[in-house]
Amino acid sequence: MSNSIIKILALDKVATVLSMIRQNGGVFGSLYKLYRQEELKDGKLVGEDSFGNKYYENPRYFYSRNRWVEYSDKFNMNYDASQVPAEWYGWLHYKTDLLPHQDPGRPKYKWMAEHTENLSGTTGQYVPYSTTRPKVEAWMPKPKTSV
Amino acid sequence: MLRQPLSRALGLSPSRVAPLTARKFAEQVQAQPDNVELFIDDQPVSVPPGTTVLQAAAQIGVEIPRFCYHERLAVAGNCRMCLVEVEKSPKPIAACAMPVMKGMRVKTNSDLTRRAREGVMEFLLVNHPLDCPICDQGGECDLQDQSMAFGSDKSRFTDIHFSGKRAVEDKDVGPLIKTIMTRCIHCTRCIRFASEVAGVDDFGTTGRGTEMQVGTYVEKMFLSELSGNIIDLCPVGALTSKPYSFAARPWETRRIDSVDVLDPLGSNIVVATRTNEVLRILPRTNEEINEEWLSDKSRFACDGLKRQRLVTPMIADSRGNLTPVDWEEAVVAAASALRDCPPDKLLAVAGELADAESLVALKDLLNRLGSEKVCTEQYFPLEGAGTDLRSSYVLNTKIANVEDADFVLLIGTNVRFEAPLLNARIRKAFIHKETDIASIGPKVDLTYEYIHVGDSASIVKDFATGSSSHEALKRLESAKRPVVIIGADQLKSAEGPALLAYTQELALRLQDKLADKEWKVLNVLQRTASQVAALDIGYKPGVGKHLQDGPKVVFLLGADAGVVTRESLPKDCVVIYQGHHGDVGAAIADIVLPGAAYTEKRGTYVNAEGRAQQTLPAVTPPGRAREDWKIIRALSEVCGARLPYDSLDEVRDRLGELSPALVCYGEVQNNNYFAQARQLAQSLQKPVSGKLDVQLKQLEDFFMTDAISRASPTMAKCVQAVIKQKQSPY
Repeated sequence: MSNSIIKILALDKVATVLSMIRQNGGVFGSLYKLYRQEELKDGKLVGEDSFGNKYYENPRYFYSRNRWVEYSDKFNMNYDASQVPAEWYGWLHYKTDLLPHQDPGRPKYKWMAEHTENLSGTTGQYVPYSTTRPKVEAWMPKPKTSV
Repeated sequence: MLRQPLSRALGLSPSRVAPLTARKFAEQVQAQPDNVELFIDDQPVSVPPGTTVLQAAAQIGVEIPRFCYHERLAVAGNCRMCLVEVEKSPKPIAACAMPVMKGMRVKTNSDLTRRAREGVMEFLLVNHPLDCPICDQGGECDLQDQSMAFGSDKSRFTDIHFSGKRAVEDKDVGPLIKTIMTRCIHCTRCIRFASEVAGVDDFGTTGRGTEMQVGTYVEKMFLSELSGNIIDLCPVGALTSKPYSFAARPWETRRIDSVDVLDPLGSNIVVATRTNEVLRILPRTNEEINEEWLSDKSRFACDGLKRQRLVTPMIADSRGNLTPVDWEEAVVAAASALRDCPPDKLLAVAGELADAESLVALKDLLNRLGSEKVCTEQYFPLEGAGTDLRSSYVLNTKIANVEDADFVLLIGTNVRFEAPLLNARIRKAFIHKETDIASIGPKVDLTYEYIHVGDSASIVKDFATGSSSHEALKRLESAKRPVVIIGADQLKSAEGPALLAYTQELALRLQDKLADKEWKVLNVLQRTASQVAALDIGYKPGVGKHLQDGPKVVFLLGADAGVVTRESLPKDCVVIYQGHHGDVGAAIADIVLPGAAYTEKRGTYVNAEGRAQQTLPAVTPPGRAREDWKIIRALSEVCGARLPYDSLDEVRDRLGELSPALVCYGEVQNNNYFAQARQLAQSLQKPVSGKLDVQLKQLEDFFMTDAISRASPTMAKCVQAVIKQKQSPY
């Protein structure tokens, strides 16, 4: 009975909101998260990768929204999906339900390269070198001194 | 040898000798005979007697197909493509060789004519390879076009399926012309061009019938400065351009009309470009300058535009090595050098490829900074009238009129290499008009016979005073249309003023006696494309005097002739070089500002006869290079001496203020004040004793004369090939 009254008055929603705010670090912490991620969620922290990204799960949300990542604070507002390393990618995209550290099919060898994010648009981006002859050959001034 | 039969043949057809509008002097002498009326496709046409059927048809817009016939060459009549039916004639006749007759009724589109053309085409294609897909002529091939228009869809010559087509070995005629002799249809245009226009009797035919071959008999390079023209003349792909081989198809290229700047004549050209790259340069018809020819340097030096280019501004670092910098840094450095320099220590030197816009901008900038020291590399005497009267530094006769001359006197100039197309005009006059030529100067091969008077400068004096008893002077004095051409190089020496004074005296003495008051005798042949414009704008010719004053800042505007050297400048002198090629000038510079070459900007160039013409941008300047006048305009802003023009039109308004002739594009003004120039020069007639010598004596000297042609690998190959050919026993 009391449950139904709580439901009618939507007090359980209020409780969820309050727990979200609590979980996200108080009013100011929640406002910051809202500003950064444009949504506020509560969930269970299931793991953290080497970059400091945190992975959460909450089955209360419907499928496809119930696993998410909160990017490490060091990315500030410049976070993007390529910062999720390959090991977490599968879990995040429902390819597997096993967390990376629980997955026996994912051996970790020491020759494996560290994940890099997509650097397009930055100074670190990959630029292929030209294989064609330049149309104009520039003049190279003769060095005047041998030093 | 060539001269006799040709002139006789040409006597028949005056309209072929003088089909040009430029030829006003020739028309005055020839009485017009009564015209002949004939009918071409039932249209009446009235032409002077001696005209051929083909020319008469061209007058009413009926074009008869042809391979061997060419307006500027003698008639050969051997390709038979121009066969037409004439009423009451049992056989079709060759229209290119048949003079018109009264009442002739020509049918250019009858069944007989069409069958005749089809037959000729069938015969031509029997032995012509079907390699159009890999032929460089594809798309601009007369044979391709005409076989589409007039040919049959099949051939009856099945025997070639068994015996194969005739094959001919390729010839090696030098690094410019690629020969694929199997494609040759024996029109003999190249042979006629070589012997008539180029004056090199090397080409000919050997064998007859199927065995006939066009070639040089022994393997030999085509030693001519006009050799590239046989590529244009060849109606098929037998002669194609070696540097351009397999580069592009004509329909892929963008063609931009422009003007050549590698010789002083300003030949009209078409620049063919694709993907921002100059692929080739072709001549553009201009009857008053280059007809439809082009010299090899102008045509093939275009690959020099892609090498040794200045693509970024540069400043010398603390060790004196030029290092690339931003425009801002370079402009600020150059402007502060200009601004901080005392005006009397500021010097600007313009080179041979500078356009009039950048010349005027540079002069205005220096004048605003308080300096009057703007000069050109090439010297010209300032004594007497100096450069005040335009008549004393241009070709007053005008290029086209030279072929109406009856006596040409060359003083200290090798016209063949200094202005190849002017030489072609003189040769044309020599062959077609019985013009005689005399030369004072070193003995050089001008491609025609001439009276060699000697190489002593005192001969000019004797001619001027009339004290010489040489036959050439007598001929000159009795000539009705004499022409005297003096090379500007002779005026550089200490005796230059006297030489010019004597030449003026001689020319004016001759001119005063002429019945034709319009005819001008005096010509000064400049060596570079920028000189006339620079002198018009008010540049002082020659740097020698100013270098001795120890300038603090020297601004070189494309000055690559090596007149200004580091040794001749004080140690702390700042050299600013603006230009498009890394050559002599850029090598000594402290600040390098990259400019645009003539194919990359809209620039005004004034040719040796004083005709202003403009180049159009065909490609963009490479890298960070910019149009020249804009660089100087930007410098002026930073110096604090702002130039009052912001667009090309405003620069040209300024040019027009200085001299209206600089912006009358395509026009050439008549020059006056000859008598005054002569009067001013009279006091300079001092005894002369030196010898006249020219810089370009041999063909190998011709190819590399300026920053662009020095950077061109094709031109370097030409020099090597000529030297190699000289060692061969043939």
